[in-house]
Amino acid sequence: MTYKCSRCKRDVQLDEYGGVRCPYCGHRVLLKERAPDVKEVDVV
Amino acid sequence: MTDQFDVSFVTREERSARLLIRGLTPATANGVRRAMIADVPTFSIDTVRFVENSSVMFDEMVGLRLGLVPLTTPLEDYEVGDTVTLALQKTGPGVAYSGDLETADDRVQPADDDIPIIELKEGQRLEFEADAVLDTGKEHAKHQGGVAVGYRHLQRVRVVGDRQEFDDPEPQIVRGVIETEDGDVVHTDEFDNDLRNRYPGKEVAVEDVPGAFVFHVESDGSLSVEELFVRAVDSLRDRADELAEAVAI
Repeated sequence: MTYKCSRCKRDVQLDEYGGVRCPYCGHRVLLKERAPDVKEVDVV
Repeated sequence: MTDQFDVSFVTREERSARLLIRGLTPATANGVRRAMIADVPTFSIDTVRFVENSSVMFDEMVGLRLGLVPLTTPLEDYEVGDTVTLALQKTGPGVAYSGDLETADDRVQPADDDIPIIELKEGQRLEFEADAVLDTGKEHAKHQGGVAVGYRHLQRVRVVGDRQEFDDPEPQIVRGVIETEDGDVVHTDEFDNDLRNRYPGKEVAVEDVPGAFVFHVESDGSLSVEELFVRAVDSLRDRADELAEAVAI
Protein backbone atom coordinates (compact mmCIF):
# COMPACT_ATOMS: atom_id res chain seq x y z
CA MET A 1 0.00 0.00 0.00
CA THR A 2 1.39 3.40 -0.99
CA TYR A 3 1.08 6.36 1.33
CA LYS A 4 2.55 9.82 1.29
CA CYS A 5 4.31 11.34 4.28
CA SER A 6 2.52 14.56 5.23
CA ARG A 7 5.79 16.24 6.29
CA CYS A 8 8.44 15.26 3.69
CA LYS A 9 5.85 14.44 0.94
CA ARG A 10 7.76 11.28 -0.04
CA ASP A 11 6.07 8.03 -1.05
CA VAL A 12 6.12 5.49 1.75
CA GLN A 13 5.64 1.75 1.47
CA LEU A 14 4.28 0.26 4.67
CA ASP A 15 4.85 -3.33 5.67
CA GLU A 16 3.32 -5.22 8.56
CA TYR A 17 6.45 -4.99 10.79
CA GLY A 18 7.54 -1.36 10.42
CA GLY A 19 4.56 0.28 12.11
CA VAL A 20 3.03 3.52 10.91
CA ARG A 21 6.02 5.79 10.49
CA CYS A 22 7.84 7.47 7.61
CA PRO A 23 11.21 5.70 7.14
CA TYR A 24 12.82 8.92 5.88
CA CYS A 25 11.80 11.52 8.46
CA GLY A 26 10.08 9.51 11.18
CA HIS A 27 6.80 11.43 10.88
CA ARG A 28 3.75 9.46 11.96
CA VAL A 29 1.15 11.17 9.83
CA LEU A 30 0.79 9.41 6.49
CA LEU A 31 -1.76 10.23 3.79
CA LYS A 32 -3.36 7.56 1.66
CA GLU A 33 -3.09 8.32 -2.04
CA ARG A 34 -5.86 7.91 -4.55
CA ALA A 35 -5.69 4.54 -6.33
CA PRO A 36 -4.26 4.93 -9.85
CA ASP A 37 -7.05 2.96 -11.58
CA VAL A 38 -9.98 4.49 -13.45
CA LYS A 39 -13.09 4.82 -11.31
CA GLU A 40 -16.49 4.55 -12.97
CA VAL A 41 -19.33 6.53 -11.42
CA ASP A 42 -23.02 6.31 -12.32
CA VAL A 43 -24.69 9.68 -12.36
CA VAL A 44 -28.09 9.21 -10.71
CA MET B 1 -62.32 19.40 -29.63
CA THR B 2 -61.78 19.96 -33.31
CA ASP B 3 -59.33 18.18 -35.57
CA GLN B 4 -57.74 21.47 -36.51
CA PHE B 5 -55.68 23.55 -34.14
CA ASP B 6 -54.77 27.14 -34.67
CA VAL B 7 -51.23 27.70 -33.43
CA SER B 8 -49.44 31.06 -33.36
CA PHE B 9 -46.46 32.53 -31.56
CA VAL B 10 -47.10 35.42 -29.20
CA THR B 11 -43.47 35.90 -28.27
CA ARG B 12 -40.52 33.98 -29.63
CA GLU B 13 -36.97 34.06 -28.33
CA GLU B 14 -34.02 31.74 -28.68
CA ARG B 15 -34.89 29.52 -25.73
CA SER B 16 -38.38 30.50 -24.74
CA ALA B 17 -41.64 31.24 -26.45
CA ARG B 18 -45.33 31.83 -25.87
CA LEU B 19 -47.66 29.92 -28.12
CA LEU B 20 -51.36 30.53 -28.52
CA ILE B 21 -53.30 27.39 -29.40
CA ARG B 22 -57.01 27.39 -30.14
CA GLY B 23 -59.21 24.34 -30.27
CA LEU B 24 -57.73 22.38 -27.35
CA THR B 25 -59.46 20.76 -24.42
CA PRO B 26 -57.87 21.31 -21.00
CA ALA B 27 -56.96 17.60 -20.90
CA THR B 28 -55.08 17.79 -24.20
CA ALA B 29 -53.35 20.99 -23.15
CA ASN B 30 -52.14 19.32 -19.98
CA GLY B 31 -51.13 16.23 -21.96
CA VAL B 32 -48.95 18.36 -24.22
CA ARG B 33 -47.42 20.11 -21.20
CA ARG B 34 -46.59 16.84 -19.53
CA ALA B 35 -45.21 15.36 -22.74
CA MET B 36 -42.87 18.34 -23.13
CA ILE B 37 -41.52 17.74 -19.65
CA ALA B 38 -41.35 13.98 -19.48
CA ASP B 39 -41.55 12.43 -22.95
CA VAL B 40 -39.12 14.30 -25.18
CA PRO B 41 -35.67 12.68 -24.84
CA THR B 42 -32.48 14.69 -24.46
CA PHE B 43 -28.84 13.76 -23.98
CA SER B 44 -27.38 13.89 -20.50
CA ILE B 45 -24.19 12.54 -18.97
CA ASP B 46 -24.96 9.22 -17.29
CA THR B 47 -21.66 7.46 -16.61
CA VAL B 48 -18.32 9.08 -15.80
CA ARG B 49 -14.95 7.31 -15.78
CA PHE B 50 -12.57 9.34 -13.63
CA VAL B 51 -8.92 8.99 -14.55
CA GLU B 52 -7.82 11.67 -12.15
CA ASN B 53 -9.62 13.89 -9.70
CA SER B 54 -7.48 15.73 -7.20
CA SER B 55 -10.05 18.47 -6.77
CA VAL B 56 -11.73 19.12 -3.44
CA MET B 57 -14.91 17.29 -4.46
CA PHE B 58 -15.65 13.59 -4.58
CA ASP B 59 -16.05 11.91 -7.96
CA GLU B 60 -19.75 11.37 -7.28
CA MET B 61 -20.36 15.06 -6.61
CA VAL B 62 -18.57 16.13 -9.79
CA GLY B 63 -20.57 13.44 -11.62
CA LEU B 64 -23.88 14.85 -10.39
CA ARG B 65 -22.93 18.30 -11.60
CA LEU B 66 -21.98 16.90 -15.00
CA GLY B 67 -25.36 15.20 -15.30
CA LEU B 68 -27.08 18.57 -15.08
CA VAL B 69 -25.19 20.13 -18.00
CA PRO B 70 -27.69 20.42 -20.89
CA LEU B 71 -26.38 18.88 -24.12
CA THR B 72 -27.64 19.72 -27.58
CA THR B 73 -29.61 16.81 -28.98
CA PRO B 74 -29.97 15.95 -32.69
CA LEU B 75 -33.04 13.75 -32.28
CA GLU B 76 -33.24 12.86 -35.97
CA ASP B 77 -30.01 10.82 -35.78
CA TYR B 78 -30.25 9.18 -32.37
CA GLU B 79 -32.65 6.88 -30.58
CA VAL B 80 -33.38 6.51 -26.89
CA GLY B 81 -30.52 4.55 -25.30
CA ASP B 82 -27.80 5.77 -27.71
CA THR B 83 -24.62 7.13 -26.16
CA VAL B 84 -22.05 9.78 -27.07
CA THR B 85 -18.69 10.11 -25.33
CA LEU B 86 -17.38 13.36 -23.88
CA ALA B 87 -14.09 14.02 -22.14
CA LEU B 88 -12.43 16.72 -20.08
CA GLN B 89 -8.86 17.38 -19.03
CA LYS B 90 -8.08 20.42 -16.96
CA THR B 91 -5.25 21.35 -14.61
CA GLY B 92 -5.53 24.10 -12.01
CA PRO B 93 -5.41 26.92 -11.26
CA GLY B 94 -8.68 27.76 -13.01
CA VAL B 95 -12.28 26.79 -13.31
CA ALA B 96 -13.35 23.76 -15.32
CA TYR B 97 -16.30 24.92 -17.40
CA SER B 98 -18.80 22.94 -19.44
CA GLY B 99 -17.16 24.51 -22.51
CA ASP B 100 -13.98 22.57 -21.72
CA LEU B 101 -15.78 19.30 -22.47
CA GLU B 102 -14.63 17.69 -25.69
CA THR B 103 -17.16 15.65 -27.57
CA ALA B 104 -17.03 12.74 -29.97
CA ASP B 105 -19.93 14.18 -32.00
CA ASP B 106 -19.96 17.95 -32.53
CA ARG B 107 -23.74 17.98 -32.67
CA VAL B 108 -23.86 16.76 -29.06
CA GLN B 109 -22.17 19.43 -27.00
CA PRO B 110 -22.95 21.59 -23.97
CA ALA B 111 -25.76 24.02 -24.73
CA ASP B 112 -23.94 26.65 -22.67
CA ASP B 113 -20.16 26.93 -22.52
CA ASP B 114 -20.01 28.87 -19.27
CA ILE B 115 -21.45 26.46 -16.71
CA PRO B 116 -18.83 26.08 -13.97
CA ILE B 117 -18.16 22.46 -13.01
CA ILE B 118 -15.49 22.97 -10.36
CA GLU B 119 -12.77 25.41 -9.38
CA LEU B 120 -9.32 23.85 -9.43
CA LYS B 121 -6.51 25.24 -7.30
CA GLU B 122 -2.79 25.08 -8.08
CA GLY B 123 -1.73 21.50 -8.76
CA GLN B 124 -5.24 20.07 -8.81
CA ARG B 125 -6.34 18.17 -11.84
CA LEU B 126 -9.54 16.78 -13.26
CA GLU B 127 -9.56 14.22 -16.05
CA PHE B 128 -12.44 12.01 -17.04
CA GLU B 129 -14.36 10.43 -19.86
CA ALA B 130 -18.14 10.48 -19.74
CA ASP B 131 -20.96 8.76 -21.61
CA ALA B 132 -24.02 10.86 -22.41
CA VAL B 133 -27.18 8.81 -22.88
CA LEU B 134 -30.35 9.78 -24.73
CA ASP B 135 -33.32 9.29 -22.43
CA THR B 136 -36.55 10.93 -21.30
CA GLY B 137 -37.49 13.12 -18.33
CA LYS B 138 -39.65 10.23 -17.13
CA GLU B 139 -36.46 8.32 -16.41
CA HIS B 140 -34.52 11.12 -14.75
CA ALA B 141 -35.14 14.87 -14.40
CA LYS B 142 -31.73 15.61 -15.93
CA HIS B 143 -33.16 14.48 -19.28
CA GLN B 144 -35.94 17.09 -19.24
CA GLY B 145 -35.79 19.31 -22.31
CA GLY B 146 -38.55 21.68 -21.18
CA VAL B 147 -37.67 23.37 -17.92
CA ALA B 148 -40.47 25.86 -17.34
CA VAL B 149 -43.49 24.69 -19.25
CA GLY B 150 -46.97 25.83 -18.36
CA TYR B 151 -50.15 27.26 -19.83
CA ARG B 152 -52.92 29.69 -19.06
CA HIS B 153 -56.30 30.33 -20.57
CA LEU B 154 -56.38 33.13 -23.08
CA GLN B 155 -58.35 35.98 -21.48
CA ARG B 156 -60.68 38.20 -23.47
CA VAL B 157 -61.02 41.77 -22.26
CA ARG B 158 -64.17 43.73 -23.14
CA VAL B 159 -64.88 47.36 -22.42
CA VAL B 160 -68.30 47.45 -20.78
CA GLY B 161 -68.53 51.13 -19.96
CA ASP B 162 -66.85 54.16 -18.48
CA ARG B 163 -65.40 54.21 -15.03
CA GLN B 164 -67.12 56.66 -12.73
CA GLU B 165 -65.10 59.56 -11.39
CA PHE B 166 -65.18 58.40 -7.78
CA ASP B 167 -64.92 54.64 -8.42
CA ASP B 168 -62.49 52.63 -6.37
CA PRO B 169 -59.07 52.98 -8.06
CA GLU B 170 -58.05 49.39 -7.38
CA PRO B 171 -55.57 47.87 -9.84
CA GLN B 172 -56.94 45.27 -12.23
CA ILE B 173 -54.13 42.79 -12.48
CA VAL B 174 -54.07 40.19 -15.24
CA ARG B 175 -51.23 37.88 -16.12
CA GLY B 176 -50.34 36.05 -19.28
CA VAL B 177 -51.88 37.06 -22.58
CA ILE B 178 -55.11 38.90 -23.30
CA GLU B 179 -57.23 39.18 -26.40
CA THR B 180 -58.69 42.60 -27.06
CA GLU B 181 -62.03 43.32 -28.69
CA ASP B 182 -60.23 43.92 -32.01
CA GLY B 183 -58.84 40.39 -31.85
CA ASP B 184 -55.29 41.55 -31.02
CA VAL B 185 -53.29 39.28 -28.77
CA VAL B 186 -51.29 41.29 -26.26
CA HIS B 187 -48.89 40.16 -23.57
CA THR B 188 -49.74 41.69 -20.20
CA ASP B 189 -46.13 42.82 -19.65
CA GLU B 190 -46.78 45.52 -22.24
CA PHE B 191 -49.09 47.38 -19.85
CA ASP B 192 -47.44 46.32 -16.61
CA ASN B 193 -50.13 43.68 -15.91
CA ASP B 194 -52.63 46.37 -14.94
CA LEU B 195 -55.65 46.82 -17.21
CA ARG B 196 -56.09 50.39 -15.97
CA ASN B 197 -52.96 51.31 -17.91
CA ARG B 198 -54.35 49.95 -21.16
CA TYR B 199 -57.93 51.08 -20.70
CA PRO B 200 -57.72 54.29 -18.65
CA GLY B 201 -61.09 55.43 -17.36
CA LYS B 202 -62.88 52.36 -18.71
CA GLU B 203 -64.80 49.62 -17.01
CA VAL B 204 -63.66 46.27 -18.39
CA ALA B 205 -64.79 42.66 -18.09
CA VAL B 206 -62.32 39.77 -18.27
CA GLU B 207 -63.31 36.24 -19.23
CA ASP B 208 -61.54 33.08 -20.33
CA VAL B 209 -61.73 32.18 -24.00
CA PRO B 210 -62.92 28.57 -24.17
CA GLY B 211 -60.46 26.17 -25.79
CA ALA B 212 -57.71 28.77 -26.19
CA PHE B 213 -54.50 28.22 -24.26
CA VAL B 214 -51.31 30.21 -24.09
CA PHE B 215 -48.33 27.97 -23.49
CA HIS B 216 -45.16 29.33 -22.03
CA VAL B 217 -42.36 27.03 -23.12
CA GLU B 218 -38.78 27.35 -22.01
CA SER B 219 -36.07 24.99 -23.19
CA ASP B 220 -32.80 24.25 -21.40
CA GLY B 221 -31.02 24.62 -24.73
CA SER B 222 -30.87 20.96 -25.68
CA LEU B 223 -33.72 21.40 -28.16
CA SER B 224 -35.35 24.40 -29.80
CA VAL B 225 -38.78 25.37 -28.49
CA GLU B 226 -40.37 24.38 -31.81
CA GLU B 227 -38.78 20.94 -31.81
CA LEU B 228 -39.67 20.38 -28.17
CA PHE B 229 -43.30 21.17 -28.86
CA VAL B 230 -43.58 19.16 -32.07
CA ARG B 231 -41.86 16.13 -30.50
CA ALA B 232 -44.18 16.32 -27.50
CA VAL B 233 -47.25 16.31 -29.75
CA ASP B 234 -45.76 13.43 -31.77
CA SER B 235 -45.21 11.39 -28.62
CA LEU B 236 -48.83 11.99 -27.57
CA ARG B 237 -50.02 10.85 -30.98
CA ASP B 238 -47.82 7.76 -30.86
CA ARG B 239 -49.21 6.79 -27.50
CA ALA B 240 -52.78 7.37 -28.63
CA ASP B 241 -52.14 5.13 -31.65
CA GLU B 242 -50.61 2.51 -29.39
CA LEU B 243 -53.69 2.60 -27.16
CA ALA B 244 -56.06 2.39 -30.13
CA GLU B 245 -54.16 -0.64 -31.39
CA ALA B 246 -54.13 -2.28 -27.98
CA VAL B 247 -57.89 -2.01 -27.45
CA ALA B 248 -58.83 -2.90 -31.05
CA ILE B 249 -60.67 -6.17 -31.40
